[in-house]
This record gives sequence, structure tokens and C-alpha cells, in this order.
Amino acid sequence: MFGYLLKRMIQMSLVLWVVSVIVFLMMSFTGDPVFMVVPIDATDAEIAQARRILGLDQSVLVQYWRFISSLVQGDFGNSYVFRQPALKLILERLPATVEMVLVAMALALVVAIPLGVYAGANPNSRISRIIMAGSLLGISLPGFWVGMVLIFLFAVHWGIFPSSGRGDTVEIFGLRISLLTADGWRHIILPALTLSLATMAILLRMTRAGMMEVGRQDFMKFARAKGATRRDVLYKHGLKNALIPVITIFGLQLGDLIAFATITETIFSWPGMGKLLIDSIYRADRPVIVVYLMLVALIFVVINFLVDIVYTLIDPRIALK
Amino acid sequence: MKYLSGKALRTSALGLAVMATTAGAALAEKSVTIGLTADPSHLYPLAGEELSSNIMYYHLYDPLVKRGADLSFGPGLAESWENVNDTTWRFKLREGVKFHNGNDFTAEDVVFTVEKARESIRPDLVANIASIAAVNDHTVEITTPKPYAVLPNDLAELLILDSDYTTETGDEKMDLEPMGTGPYMLDEWIKEEKLVLNAFDGYWAGEPRIDTVTFRPITNPATRTAALLTGEVDVIQDLAVRDVDRVKREEGFEVVTRPSLLNVVLAMDTRAKSPTIEGDNPMVDQRVREAIARAIDTDAINKIVMNGLATPSDQFVPESHIGYADGMSFRKMYPVGIEKAKELMAEAGYADGFTMTLDATNNRYVNDAQIAQALASMLAKINIDLKLNIMPKSNFWGYIRVPTEQSSFIMSGWDVPAGDAGSMYGALFYTRDKKEGYGQVNRGSYSNPELDALVDQADATPSIEERDRLLQEASKLLLADIPMIPVHYEQDIYAVRDGVTLVPRVDKFIWAYDMDVTE
Repeated sequence: MFGYLLKRMIQMSLVLWVVSVIVFLMMSFTGDPVFMVVPIDATDAEIAQARRILGLDQSVLVQYWRFISSLVQGDFGNSYVFRQPALKLILERLPATVEMVLVAMALALVVAIPLGVYAGANPNSRISRIIMAGSLLGISLPGFWVGMVLIFLFAVHWGIFPSSGRGDTVEIFGLRISLLTADGWRHIILPALTLSLATMAILLRMTRAGMMEVGRQDFMKFARAKGATRRDVLYKHGLKNALIPVITIFGLQLGDLIAFATITETIFSWPGMGKLLIDSIYRADRPVIVVYLMLVALIFVVINFLVDIVYTLIDPRIALK
Repeated sequence: MKYLSGKALRTSALGLAVMATTAGAALAEKSVTIGLTADPSHLYPLAGEELSSNIMYYHLYDPLVKRGADLSFGPGLAESWENVNDTTWRFKLREGVKFHNGNDFTAEDVVFTVEKARESIRPDLVANIASIAAVNDHTVEITTPKPYAVLPNDLAELLILDSDYTTETGDEKMDLEPMGTGPYMLDEWIKEEKLVLNAFDGYWAGEPRIDTVTFRPITNPATRTAALLTGEVDVIQDLAVRDVDRVKREEGFEVVTRPSLLNVVLAMDTRAKSPTIEGDNPMVDQRVREAIARAIDTDAINKIVMNGLATPSDQFVPESHIGYADGMSFRKMYPVGIEKAKELMAEAGYADGFTMTLDATNNRYVNDAQIAQALASMLAKINIDLKLNIMPKSNFWGYIRVPTEQSSFIMSGWDVPAGDAGSMYGALFYTRDKKEGYGQVNRGSYSNPELDALVDQADATPSIEERDRLLQEASKLLLADIPMIPVHYEQDIYAVRDGVTLVPRVDKFIWAYDMDVTE
């Protein structure tokens, strides 16, 4: 286990370093951030002053060296646009995103697993066909469209839910949580639903495929023969064996949604960090982009690590190496 | 209860009435929620400028000279001002003004702000101030490097900081904990979610009518409209063009529009050789420039691309500006006419046209990429093969930057909130590299000694009337010589619910102090 952890840590540092290099290289092609900051009729002297203040008066190599050396001391650099520590900008928006993604993933799981098991166990029933057709819609409808339709129906037309924003929050240990207020829940339903649809559909289809695969195995028949109920056969024997690929996808989706919930956040003006990434790309705000993508890489590594552990819990034959 | 005296009854009735009035007063606490297109980046005026931040600055801080909704200039923190001599101004500061923390506003704060600006990322704010000194607690003397008649207009953009507080707090924290003399104080700012302002009851011009102002950033235009229709916000900025009819149809809402100051212009290269044109540059010839002007149908662009929500521009600056040439119109001088345009091309020896590239943005101006496409099809009619080079604004400003080594034909926008054509002409049309601070945005490399002379004279006179006369001359000269084609002013579109009074400002800076709400 320790060796495994160490290996993972080394891998992670490598991944983070590569991300930082790639972003630094990429950003040298996306325009000069100084022009996003100064007025368009700025004189050369004014631009030079702005460059000096932002630390852009050095070559990219020197800038990178400065970035890395202060990073080692825990300083991730300041945003060009906000002139605030980049990490702080991201972290203060992180809880909102995580909250929305967790609700979305929970929603996806609760709907997808039972429906997937049902559709896998009864592939020819009419209900299964309806479920599968619905999942196709879930995969193919673009999130921004679903979001707009939900806003139009539930907010503008029926007035059940608010159209945007996060609602009341409660502060716990410096984190703003909206899941502890009724108003917060009213606000989170529509964006979480929008965000969950595609994942829901994918998980559903994975579960179904897994169940169909497992259903043909001998041990399923034996289980039934030894007298286990149909429900126990499906959920205890079948689902457990069908779950490995589902969990893999779940982990990937989880990371993906946390990192790039941008579109849903923009549509519902959800104060999360995805919108910060898009704004920063538009403004060529390199420090924020670098830290953001490094954080995303970290999230993926951690999630994959957790997924590996879950594998061993579900299937004792798998061991961490 | 039966024996209760009449007096007691009256008293209790009075008590109820008193309670009712207090409840009424609590209800009368006015508040408004405004949906903006973006969250502000800053609350510290010297940290940078962009629209949402500017809106917040003017709620939290005050300038010496106040710019009205219609671009008129009047006393702000300065009560009055006078010229001591051609380059020296004396500003009499308002007495009894307090910052939100109770500190007194004095001349020292003004001097501090100017010096602080010089070291900041916005030295342009004080570019026309050579020196500043406090004469006494409530008088400052400012000298300009040369006679400069519109100094007060410039000062409308310089927001005064509390010297003690700002020094103590430091630049980084100033962005989160602002402190000014403005009509509103910061209550709460949850990034990307809401920014709440409370009325400052000690405001020198009288307490604001609206007690609480909440700004919510709603980037997606359709969501912004939805938030207005559901009553989550009372006012929205930049109503999407396609939602205008929808909101107009809806009961209880109103659409408010006004032409903005932003003039979309086309800069033509006037160098002998131009980067994207093979051989000699045809646009050196005024006739070719005129032909291009006559081939561009701004009415059609307005109707088809802008849904009628633009105002074709008749000059380089709006009518309210110093230097607007009375009664002249680019549209009347060069009416759309393909035949006439072709004749001019033939006279100049380019009957067969030529090929060049237009550089334009796709996320800076309203429908900018579509305008570029419309231009290409219009210029095709006079045999100009216009290639389009369209990019996001983060690349654009660096790409087209003087010395414009890659561009021949550039679409961009220009506005002069200072209400004066001089700064625009100096920056856009003055010969390049001749004088520090002039011609730095002259992307077409236009050079005309007559124009340079007019701008020089305008910038050397302390008299506003004389400046206006000289700049009007310059406007006439430019309209005749066509170094640039003015296309249109975008329109600012707001939507409000009934009961909200919104006076749209020419500079787009929504100001709750001028607003009112009724239920």
C-alpha cells in the first residue's frame, strides 16, 4: 500500500509539472495579457509600466522559473486581471461547484443504477425500451439547451424554481454551503439536473450492458438455483460484478463535471469555478489558468486513486500494486 | 373589557396606528436588484477598468468633477474651479465631506490619489497632470504640462481615495474592502453571485433614495431575461437583441434604449505598402477610400445585422462632444452608391479592384463577426476581395497594435467618455512617432500636417471655445480626407420592471443614486 501511494505521488507530481509546462507554452500563443489590462489608447510607457507591475517584462523562461520557484514555497502567483492570489480565487468558488456536482452525481446514481439493472435484466420489455430511448435523449441533448428549456418551463412559465443564482448560504468553517438551506435546495435543483442528465444516461447504459453481460454467466444461474431471490441475484451477485466499469466511468465523470461544469454554471449563473476558467481564457489570465488546470489534474489523480480503492472493496481479487 | 373607557380605546387604536406606520416605514425601505453581464473584477479604482468595475467605482467613490448621465460636467468633490493661468488650475474642494469610515475628505487625499495613480496600472488617469499641490485643506492647485482646456473632464475619471485608509490597507485588500465618499458602501460581495451595497446616510449630496442595491452577475443573456421575467431582478443590462420584442410584449416590463458612445470604425492603411495588399497600396488615394465609404451601406447593416438597434454614425464623435462639426454628416457626404464608387475606383486606376484582409473581433462588439461578413459582401460589389481575419479580443489588441505590421484594414470601436474629440484625434490620427503621447493608436499610419497642427493648437489653448473651434476644423478635415470610416454607434439596451426609474447614462455606468423604485 505504501509503495503504491508513493508511486502515485511521483506520478502525480510528474503530471502536475507537465500540465504547468503545457499551459505556459500554450498561453504564449493566446495573446498578450497586458492588452487586456491597459486602456486601448495606452502609450508605450504606460504599457511598459503595466508589464512591470504584472511581472510580464521578463522572458517566458524567466516567468516560468519565477512561477515554479514561488510555487515550491506555496505561492501560486497572482491573477493579472484580479490582482489577487490565483489559488484563492479558485478555492473560494470551489465549494459551489463541488456542491452542484455532488447533487448531480447523486441524482445520476439514484436514477441510473435501478433503471440500468431493470433494463439489463429485462432487455425485451416495453419499459426497458422506453428507458433506453430516454437515455439516448439524455446523451444527445446538449446541456445548454436542456438548461434553457428547464429555465423557461420551471422558472419563467410555472415559477416553481428560481432561474439562476445560488440562493441563501450558510457558512461553516469558512465554506459557504447552500445545501443546508431550503432556498439553496430550490436553487440547486435545476442546474444539478441539467448537469446530471448526460452522466445519468451514460451510467444507465453502462449498468445495463454490464448486467446483460453478467446475466449470461453461470454463477447467476447457480445463485438462482440455490434459492436466492431474484432481487438478491440481481443486486448482490449481478450488479456487484457489473459495477467495475460503471465505477470507472463514474470517477471520470465526477472529475470531468467538477473541472468543466462551465456551461451549466454560465447558464444558471452559478458562482462556481468553471466560469472563472472561461473568463480567464478570454482574458488571457495565465496564472489562473495554470493553477486551475493543475488543480483539475490533482482532482483527477485523487479521484482515480479513490476509484482504485473502491475496486478492491467491490472485487477482492483486485489488489493495489 | 366591557368597562374599557373611550380614552383607553382611542389609545389602543392609536397604538395600532403607530404600529401600522412603523410597518409601513419598514416596507418603504427601498431596494433594487440589478442583473449585470459580469461580476466586477475590482473595487479599487486604480487596479484596472472594465464596465462592471466602473459601475461599482462610481457608487463607492466620487471624482472631483461629476459626469452627468448626458455627459454634462459639473461639480463633484470639487465645488468650483478656475484657471489661475494657462497651465494652472485651482480647485476649491467641498467642505464637510466624509469617507464611509468617518475620515474627513481633504486636499491631502486628492494629492495622494494623483500620486498613487501615477505609480499604478492606470497612469493614463493623470497623464495630463504635471504637478499637484495642496494650497490649504480644501484647495488644490494642479498644473498641466501644456494648456489643456478639458482637464475637468479628465478628472471625472479620477476617483478620490482616502489617503490614510488606502495606505494602511494596501492595494490587494483595497479590492475587497473599498472606502470612498460615494453614495453607497459595500455590504457584502460574494464573488460571481452578488454584490450588495447599502446607502451611505452621510452622503454629501443627500442620502440616496434606494437603501439597498444588489448587483447580480448573469452572463448568459437568455438567463438574464429569464431572471427579469421571474422577478428575481428588477433591472437588466444588455438585454439580448432577440429578446427585445419578447420583453416588450410582456405586461409589466419596459425596454429602455439609448445610443452608446462606442463608435465602430474602420481604419484604412495609408502607407505606400500595406501588409496584406500586393503591390502598391490603393488606399493611399483618397478616391479609393471614398469608394469604400460609398460601398458600405450602414443602413443595411443596421437593419439586417443589428436588428435596427444601432445608430449609423455621422461623424467620428457624437454630437454632445467638443469638436463635433455642426451640421456635417458622413452619410450625406458619401451616400451609398455602387456606381459612383466604381467610377471613383476607375478614376484611381483600380477598376479591377484589389485584395486585402480585414482584421476584426468576434467577441468584443455586438455582432462584430457578422458585420465583418456583411462588409466583405458589400466591398465585393466594387471588386475589392475582402478576406476576413477574425479573432477573439484577447489576441486582437496585440495583433493590431501600432506599428500594425500585419494589418491593412481594421474594424474596432472607439469611445470618448471625456466628451471631447481631442484625445481621440490625437491618439488615432496624429502622425505616428512625432510626439510622445500622440498617434499611439494611429493604426492606419495616417499623416497629415494640417491635422497635426490643428490638434497641437487645440491642445495648446486654455479656452474651451477655441478648442471646440479648432477641433471642429479637424473634424471637417477628417470627414473630407476619410482616414477612417465611421460605421455605427451600438445601442445600449436595458429592461426594467414597471415601477423602476432608470436613466440610462451615455457612458453605460448604471448609477443607483439616480434611480428610484416604487412598488
